[in-house]
Amino acid sequence: MPAVELHAVTKTYTRLGRPPRRALDDLHLVVGTGGVHGFLGPNGSGKTTTIRVLLGLVRPDAGEVRLLDRPVPAELPQVIGSVGALVETPLFFPGFSGRQNLQLLAATAGIPRSRVEEVLKTVDLRNRATDRFRGYSLGMKQRLGIAAALLKSPRLLLLDEPSNGLDPAGIRDVRELIRRLGSDGSTTVLLSSHLLAEIEQVADSVSIMAQGRCIASGPVAEVLAGRSTGDVRIRVPALAEATAVLTAAGFAVTPAPDGLLVHGVADPGAVTRLLAEHGHYLEELTPVSADLESTFLALTAPPA
Amino acid sequence: MSTAVDTASPTAPEPPTRPAGRFSELLRAEVHRLLARSFIRVVLALAVLGWLGAVVLALTQFSSPTPERLAEARTAMQQSVALSERFRQDCLDDPARPAEISGDDWCGPAQTVADLRAADFLDPPAFSLAAAGVEGAIAVGVLSAMLAFLLGATFVGAEWSSRSIVAQLFWEPRRARVMGAKLLVAAAASVVLGVLAQLAWPATAGLLQALVGDGAPLPDDFWPELAAAAGRGVLLTLLAGLLGLGLTNLVRNTGAALGIGFVYFAVLETAVNVLRPAWQPWLLTNNAAALALPGGLELSRPVETVDAAGRPVLESAVYVLGSVQAGVYLGLVTAAITGLGVVLFARRDVH
Repeated sequence: MPAVELHAVTKTYTRLGRPPRRALDDLHLVVGTGGVHGFLGPNGSGKTTTIRVLLGLVRPDAGEVRLLDRPVPAELPQVIGSVGALVETPLFFPGFSGRQNLQLLAATAGIPRSRVEEVLKTVDLRNRATDRFRGYSLGMKQRLGIAAALLKSPRLLLLDEPSNGLDPAGIRDVRELIRRLGSDGSTTVLLSSHLLAEIEQVADSVSIMAQGRCIASGPVAEVLAGRSTGDVRIRVPALAEATAVLTAAGFAVTPAPDGLLVHGVADPGAVTRLLAEHGHYLEELTPVSADLESTFLALTAPPA
Repeated sequence: MSTAVDTASPTAPEPPTRPAGRFSELLRAEVHRLLARSFIRVVLALAVLGWLGAVVLALTQFSSPTPERLAEARTAMQQSVALSERFRQDCLDDPARPAEISGDDWCGPAQTVADLRAADFLDPPAFSLAAAGVEGAIAVGVLSAMLAFLLGATFVGAEWSSRSIVAQLFWEPRRARVMGAKLLVAAAASVVLGVLAQLAWPATAGLLQALVGDGAPLPDDFWPELAAAAGRGVLLTLLAGLLGLGLTNLVRNTGAALGIGFVYFAVLETAVNVLRPAWQPWLLTNNAAALALPGGLELSRPVETVDAAGRPVLESAVYVLGSVQAGVYLGLVTAAITGLGVVLFARRDVH
């Protein structure tokens, strides 16, 4: 059962005196259960609108939306108790303490107060729990937002830029928390972020958004493989001779640290065989794969 | 493009999904939210302090009629009667008085001590529960209504300004239910405020009567009239609280709601009174007054008619705005404003 399903979802924002803006354009996205799913896209690509549609905050113009196998918004109330969310800036009463804000939310769903203390401990805010929210730093506010999202012990956690405002240690802590949540098998984390490194480190799968559409989706390795460079890095004892052999066979070769970079290799075995036939035995051959950043930039680049 | 990504173990059992909380839990959270707000606590504390200040002030302004003070009052009353009689005599002796008009018609009837009450000559006067009871209940009703409007407005206004109302939808996506809980709590809080104020008034007035009162017996219809005034005051407080919440929810900002209220009461109603007096029965202030006052409010406006000779004359037309009519009208206005806010909240995108 997919945790999140969007089929042919369209949303256009209209405002008086302004041209309409299409935020989601025939969006199809399916996220399976469990693990961490990275949700990437440049600003304005539709990530936050997608999360708002999933939470019933924004009504799509067309399309089908399902959350934990229930149609949204019709049956959202049936599953909302299993969905935790942090969307953009955490929204709390500035005059209430962190603990009071969480207790109010917990009371809404009949969650025991002991759970409030648990999540405060999880995000390391127990020492500041009695401080007013307005006195919190940006990072503390963000941590309280994550605590609120965790209150329900959710099966699906929707996190929109959770690392905003966090210091490096905070980013690391959140990353570890997300990884831990995603690895328990019962929680699905949909992590929207512009921090590609963050997604690459914690996500099992990824979707890339551009102009309201999902342009790539799948396990991280699969998405990266889809953007394979075709380059291989090799290490041989006689660099000059190997370069000559490969160049004569039609390969483009450039020097690389401790070896050579062979471009446009469809079959790495051909390189191995060719060099062996000429008496050069490889010490190393490594396919050069695309990283998420280059894949993301390539996929979301505006058409030339 | 559609790609399914399933990273879960195929044998892992999926825990059941949990629905949103019960309505009773939502109500409890709203009560907690209302009572925990510093602004509301400060306003209520100021109201209590203001009340205590008014009691202390009243104790300094009234004094019980001791035998000595009553004797002084009777002396003052007799002096007043004598002075009045002297002026009347001067009037009767005035040669300018027309012969065909009687002395009583020209100068008024002779005044005796039987026409006056010694209590009216007490300085400082004694507090009169019989005279101030109903008037006090009306004043308390108006004050508690103003307080309820402010509390209703800030209750939901604070949620819009902090956007915490959006976060609440992550917990209860049924928006009509969310707003229904807020309205119920605001209504209950307004009623509690109105009832407490109306209970506090007779308690205070009883205290004043005991300490600095005139000791006069209460008329037979005192308590029924006081109870009726108190009931109308509670209803006015309830409607004001809901109107404050409804208006603020509609414009989604406390400052804007209070600004609209100020412009309406200070500018629009004044303009209507001056330019369109015929519209007076539709003004909220007049309807609030008609609801609070026993027997409603008498409104008059100039009407141009013609006399028997066909000449245009300006007469005053009187219109009585009844309490029931005013209550129904205020209820409809409150329902319309509140209902529109709820419908827009339920239907529009929330960001």
